[in-house]
Amino acid sequence: MLEVKDLKKSFQSGDTTVKAVDGISFSVPDGQFASIIGKSGSGKSTLLSLLGALDAPTGGSITVGDQDITKMHDRALIKYRCHTIGFVFQGYNLVPNLSALENVILPMEFAGLPKSQRRDRAVKLLEQVGFEPDQMLRKPGKLSGGQQQRVAIARALANKPQLILADEPTGNLDSQTGKMIFDLLHGLAKSENTTIITVTHDLSIAGKTDITFKLQDGKLQKGKK
Amino acid sequence: MNVISRGIRNAFRNTIRTASIVTILGLSIGLSLAMLVAHQAVGDKITSVKASVGNTVSISPAGARGFEGGGNALTAAQLSKVKSLDHVTSVTESLSDRLTTDNTNLQSAVDAGSLGRRFAQNDGGLRIAAPADGSQPGTITTFTPPVTVNGTTNPTDLSSGFGGGGTFTLKSGKVFNGTSSDNVALVGTTLASKNNLKVGSTFTAYGQTITVAGIFDAGNTFSNNQVIMPLATAQTLSAQPGAITSATVKVDSISNVASVTSAAEKQLGSAADVTNAAEEAQNTIKPLENIQTISLYSLIGAIGAGAIIILLTMVMIVRERRREIGVIKAIGASNVKVVGQFSVEAVTLTVLGAFIGIMLGVAAANPITNLLVTNSSNSVQGGRMMAAPGRGFGGGFGRSLSNIHAAVGWDIILYGLGAAIVIAIIGSALASFFIAKIRPAEVMRVE
Repeated sequence: MLEVKDLKKSFQSGDTTVKAVDGISFSVPDGQFASIIGKSGSGKSTLLSLLGALDAPTGGSITVGDQDITKMHDRALIKYRCHTIGFVFQGYNLVPNLSALENVILPMEFAGLPKSQRRDRAVKLLEQVGFEPDQMLRKPGKLSGGQQQRVAIARALANKPQLILADEPTGNLDSQTGKMIFDLLHGLAKSENTTIITVTHDLSIAGKTDITFKLQDGKLQKGKK
Repeated sequence: MNVISRGIRNAFRNTIRTASIVTILGLSIGLSLAMLVAHQAVGDKITSVKASVGNTVSISPAGARGFEGGGNALTAAQLSKVKSLDHVTSVTESLSDRLTTDNTNLQSAVDAGSLGRRFAQNDGGLRIAAPADGSQPGTITTFTPPVTVNGTTNPTDLSSGFGGGGTFTLKSGKVFNGTSSDNVALVGTTLASKNNLKVGSTFTAYGQTITVAGIFDAGNTFSNNQVIMPLATAQTLSAQPGAITSATVKVDSISNVASVTSAAEKQLGSAADVTNAAEEAQNTIKPLENIQTISLYSLIGAIGAGAIIILLTMVMIVRERRREIGVIKAIGASNVKVVGQFSVEAVTLTVLGAFIGIMLGVAAANPITNLLVTNSSNSVQGGRMMAAPGRGFGGGFGRSLSNIHAAVGWDIILYGLGAAIVIAIIGSALASFFIAKIRPAEVMRVE
């Protein structure tokens, strides 16, 4: 269960204080696929970075399972990002000089998984997202956008996280590839019982998720099931 | 794949940039090694110059200069006052005399030549009458240079007031005791060869039979035409009891030479000329010390330049990969792992630079050292010629200055690798600071 209570994040811009996230509270049960929609600047990405412990909130709490991540110190946050969270980004964000396989292995190395198990699991994950063995050794520059996003999904699943956070995962893809990626995420969420929270502009995608949250000016407008 | 292998691979992400950085670093490390070698070689030379010439004081009778000039011989009583001075470690006493055909059966091994005849002509006692054949009157045609005999308390020290100097090397026999009064002698190689002398052979001098105790090589023709005897023997045979024509005082440290010189002058008064080589040696050493300073600053500058190159490179790389660092942190890497990866990258670049640098350093160390020393020696010798024309002393030092061999040993290579590691650490330090400051949220930044 992901539980967010009165979450706040504000920035100082000159003399003005910008409230990017302004007292949001919501919860997502385990294994659910949730989407966050809203206009540009509504605070979607800020909310996602707070959930992923990439940034620290100004106030409120975020509880994943029984851990309040807003009270964690640096070392625990690294562990949290490593073991509990998987990220999928709009721009894929793969390491350019590593092959697809090595990109998937990377989080397993950080998590301290035995070397002998890393490669087997990475191959299995890449096969799950539809990669052929010869494609696994290609570097990101030799892969299409859809292929790179599939590598990013495999990487996000590497350490069997409880929560996958996806920041507009289909934003850079054509509609057909976007649909394929969404279906892949959805299927994996169900098969791995992983909670997924995705930020999207695409209302058709949001419509297919279990829960949708709409953000406007840093505030949660409504949630639907 | 781990931090080390990723760091090494990252060093080659941009081949052209890597090649450029490694080349520049190689030049920097090579220059620093060459400067280190020059610094060490010159330092060794300074030490040897100081050790060999710097800590002696020469005493000779006032007005005397070899067999030129005049004055009265010094006495053992006078020199005993010098022996008791502070910082004096030893005093070598000697008496020089000449053996001619009148008082020895030895034949000189040195041909008179035009120079010998010139000097002999100036010697009033040897002028001859104009020959009947009408040739130039007063020209000496049969002059033979005398054999120099030196009585000494330290037979192996050729620098102690003997004419000619050189390095004493015993070729056969044994060295006599300096305090003995036996009729024994060491004979120079050419003199021995000319007179068919061997160890145990005898010759006559001052009407006495002298036994050859050993044969020595001094490394120069003049000194090898000498006979060296115990001081007491020479004094007795030459009928100059207690006479001393020169003394060399060894001082415990070059820094005490000036004070010992002053004290000796005070003790001996106007009876003796007291001189030391320290000032001359100091003038000789000064350009070497300048080279040492230049090489030290160049060494520091080259290492500093290398460190700045790698530092700026790493800062540039970190800024360039800001987003990538954010990604790595977002997927679970700690600051230590990211910093480790970049440090390995910096070390890889510097170690590659070090290999090139060591090769350059090995090739360039000797030429650079010689170039520095030669330029310096030339300016010193030029200065000496202006200051004191006709003096040969500085020329000897000048030659010795040029004779510096800069050797690159394993210690230097290890210094090179050490310098590379230091450069890498310095270069990584600021980069690490920037890495630590990069928030994982950087990954959310839209470009």
